[in-house]
Amino acid sequence: MANIAAQRIKREFKEVIKSEEVAKCAIRVELLNDCYTELRGEIAGPPDTPYEGGTFVLDIKVPETYPFNPPKVKFLTKIWHPNISSVTGAICLDILKDQWAAAMTLRTVLLSLQALLSAAEPDDPQDAVVAKQYKENNEMFQITARHWTNVYAGGPNVNKDCDDKIKTLADMGVEEHQARVALSSYDWELQRATEQLFS
Amino acid sequence: MGDEAKNSSTTTEDVPQLNQDELIMAQQRQIEKEISESIPLVGELESILLLEHEYSNDTVYQEKVRNLSLKYSSIRRTRPDGNCFFRAFSFAYIERLLDKKEEFKAFYQKAEKSKDVLVELGFQQFTVEDFYDTYLDVLKRVGDIENTEEAKAELYTLFNDQGYSDYMVVYLRLLTSGQLQKEKDFYSCFIEGHRTVEDFCHQEVEPMYKESDHIHIIAACAALGTGVRVIYMDRGTGKAVTEHDLPEGCIPSVHLLYRPGHYDILYPV
Repeated sequence: MANIAAQRIKREFKEVIKSEEVAKCAIRVELLNDCYTELRGEIAGPPDTPYEGGTFVLDIKVPETYPFNPPKVKFLTKIWHPNISSVTGAICLDILKDQWAAAMTLRTVLLSLQALLSAAEPDDPQDAVVAKQYKENNEMFQITARHWTNVYAGGPNVNKDCDDKIKTLADMGVEEHQARVALSSYDWELQRATEQLFS
Repeated sequence: MGDEAKNSSTTTEDVPQLNQDELIMAQQRQIEKEISESIPLVGELESILLLEHEYSNDTVYQEKVRNLSLKYSSIRRTRPDGNCFFRAFSFAYIERLLDKKEEFKAFYQKAEKSKDVLVELGFQQFTVEDFYDTYLDVLKRVGDIENTEEAKAELYTLFNDQGYSDYMVVYLRLLTSGQLQKEKDFYSCFIEGHRTVEDFCHQEVEPMYKESDHIHIIAACAALGTGVRVIYMDRGTGKAVTEHDLPEGCIPSVHLLYRPGHYDILYPV
């Protein structure tokens, strides 16, 4: 069985390499070991979303039973999105679970993830905090997601207000990422974030 | 849909929580593995009367098995992994065609053209090809053997090789999905819930281990151009088992025994 998985990945690998999305720098895959079981993927944040301009790195593990079971994929780049855990990078996407079909490929997975960045499904969330913000304060969600893209994924949009608030907390001795998480979770209200951090 | 367990990771904690979905999937895989180690993908031919042993304390079923044995002499079990219909159907149909060289040839020619039909329907050439090649390879390998009994033995061997066997299942799933989409106006009437035929295919037909319903069977039969007789055996009253020909009025080439949740292959007397 392992043999089938490896053969299949080899063919898929070629497919991704010569796909037009690679030409457009939208997706990328590279091998981490010789037996085709661990790969690193990359997707570009789609235009007209808070993820625009960012590059998101994915950890891809191919099970022995591939392509009959889906690859295990998670985000290595930290991201603020209702269907992706801001803590672990775990993804809630049907095709990576019970809707996986053997006729799908790494390319379909990467393109589906890119589509997920364009169209979140807040009613089927992976990260409850993000999903709540997405539904109840979408403007704040956009700001937060763009800020995370800037900090973690190399996106171009610097948000001085966010940076300043994080710096304020950092000056109080709070670790930067922890400060960002607290502020993000409390709609960037410095006081509530501070209360939570020091409670 | 992954809605059984939500991992609402609170972002305010630093401790990564265990992903519930993944735990459930891992457990499911473990169960599947345990089943798969105990039952062959496609079993050996057994006498139908052996079924009686399964129901030694159950007179309703015993009666039905005896009734069944008037029409069927043997049974071949398949692994209950959600693929049983597709695996049983394709094994039994190919096995039967091996007895009729002319029909087999016609079937092979039709199979050769099937990839183009799928690609035309929008399936990705690259993935379809993978399964198509194996599907044709299996047909060719058994078709090339002159002696029918040897050909059947080879078919049995190939269907118990997980790689080949699962590829056969996937390709029949794709053909079934293609058939449903080709005739979607007709099939859309039989789909429950507010789903399109395409959604249904993506959710219930193409994924491995998804169980089959009437609609799968009818579409699979149409895709291969044949018919199936399904014998239903459950705890319902009456001594007889219920028969169903799909599509209605067909001359069935394959006989399947259905017990709630599972299909096995039957061989007429």
